[in-house]
Amino acid sequence: MSAPSAGRAGWARGVALVCGRELGAFFDSAIAYVYLISALVLLTSLFMNEFFLTGRLDMTPLFDALGPLSIFLLPAISMRLWAEDKKSRTFELWMTLPLRPAQVVWGKYLAALALYGVFLLGTTPIVVMLAWLGDPDLGLVFSGYLGALFLGALLLACGALLSSLTGDQIVAFVASVLAGFLFVFTGHPKVVAVLDGMAPELGAGSLLAESVAALPRYEGFVRGLVELSSVVWFAGLAGVFLWLNAVVVTRVRS
Amino acid sequence: MIRVEHVSRDFGAVRAVDDVSFAIEAGEVVGFLGPNGAGKSTLLKMLCTFLPPTAGKLTVAGHDVEGEPLAVRAAIGYLPEHNALFETMSVARLLRFVGRVRGLVGERLAERTAWVVDRVELGSVLKKRVPECSKGFRQRIGLACALIHDPPVLLLDEPTHGLDPLQVVAFRDFIAELAPGRAILFSSHILAEVAEISNRLLVIQGGRLCLDESVATLEEQGRARGATLEQLVLERVRAAAPAEGSPGVAPEVAP
Repeated sequence: MSAPSAGRAGWARGVALVCGRELGAFFDSAIAYVYLISALVLLTSLFMNEFFLTGRLDMTPLFDALGPLSIFLLPAISMRLWAEDKKSRTFELWMTLPLRPAQVVWGKYLAALALYGVFLLGTTPIVVMLAWLGDPDLGLVFSGYLGALFLGALLLACGALLSSLTGDQIVAFVASVLAGFLFVFTGHPKVVAVLDGMAPELGAGSLLAESVAALPRYEGFVRGLVELSSVVWFAGLAGVFLWLNAVVVTRVRS
Repeated sequence: MIRVEHVSRDFGAVRAVDDVSFAIEAGEVVGFLGPNGAGKSTLLKMLCTFLPPTAGKLTVAGHDVEGEPLAVRAAIGYLPEHNALFETMSVARLLRFVGRVRGLVGERLAERTAWVVDRVELGSVLKKRVPECSKGFRQRIGLACALIHDPPVLLLDEPTHGLDPLQVVAFRDFIAELAPGRAILFSSHILAEVAEISNRLLVIQGGRLCLDESVATLEEQGRARGATLEQLVLERVRAAAPAEGSPGVAPEVAP
């Protein structure tokens, strides 16, 4: 049997082993259960409130609420990815196993993404309820979930990088929340207007909204617009963060 | 099996390991002695690829530590000083995970797991989670993780730390059993323990290697001069210490 670092199959096997261990770590402790229950209660409460007020058979209010909520929900997953290993010294254990740093980075990231996926799956009874009550636009629902997945993939990759820069989960959480604010609120129309108004010649608000903001791209998915440019933007930026994460964990040793 | 050639390691302005060279062949059990901060753990961390050297070359099982870190990691069993383990896992799951990462599957994995569980006596804690295990058991779990893939090179940083006297005796016998065909380098503060387990001593002081001698030779020299092994080692350590002296050297090296 080849080592999990040799060849493509070995590479994927190593990533899968790390992912399985990390997912186990989430579910072996109370972290995953507390996270999933509290996040689902919060999100579905916000949705049901809107649903009872408007009576529309539409998932859009849920995805609208999820965008800003992601700023806090996703760092709660990503904060422990590396910071805990550094604090408990298991970072040395990871880095002396016959695995490439990129395999560990991907394994941990995919575990975090899988937990987020379980959270999104937890909202699917709402889709069933809407389908039972009437005829919601399932294409719109699907593209909303796709947008939520891409937004999560980006913020988790950013959070994993920030977690690798510190040995303190609280610091990782706060830094990830701030980064989330940057990604989400730089695309908010009011923030764009304020920033543009401060220096009209620079057009800083519009510039940030076009280059950094995840919100307009995410809202595109929520409104049913699946654009290749948005897919590339989310995936590309997440890839850059993961690459930087691998660079950081490699360099931390030296 | 292990070759260290003019290796140095700096942490900022501090030189933790200074121009150290030695080689260890298969079948040798080498004790690595020195006071706290002498550079023992730093050198072991370089050998296991965790830290890169500032200068010099390290080779383990024929692989360059810098150029082929994965091959080196596959060839070593490493027990780190603080022996951090994945706390949320049960002992059985931890061993299975480490075995799989080490490339073991199916029957071979079951066979090797059974072997380490039997030899390191982990049967009673297999279903327990790591945090539920005592310090001595945690040390044995770390040793089991280091041995599960039957590595040709063993690097053990303070392996007897946390073991009771009976376990230390068992560990000594176990190391003697493992020695044939393997290169074993282990660090310790306790000279008597190292002299009992190993057939060669390396002593490091202030980052520099100040003694590299077989235990048999040292014992012979001791008999000729009417000195104990401890006295001979301390003599060499003190000779290598800086002029102002190095606080805490003697008591830490002494048993």
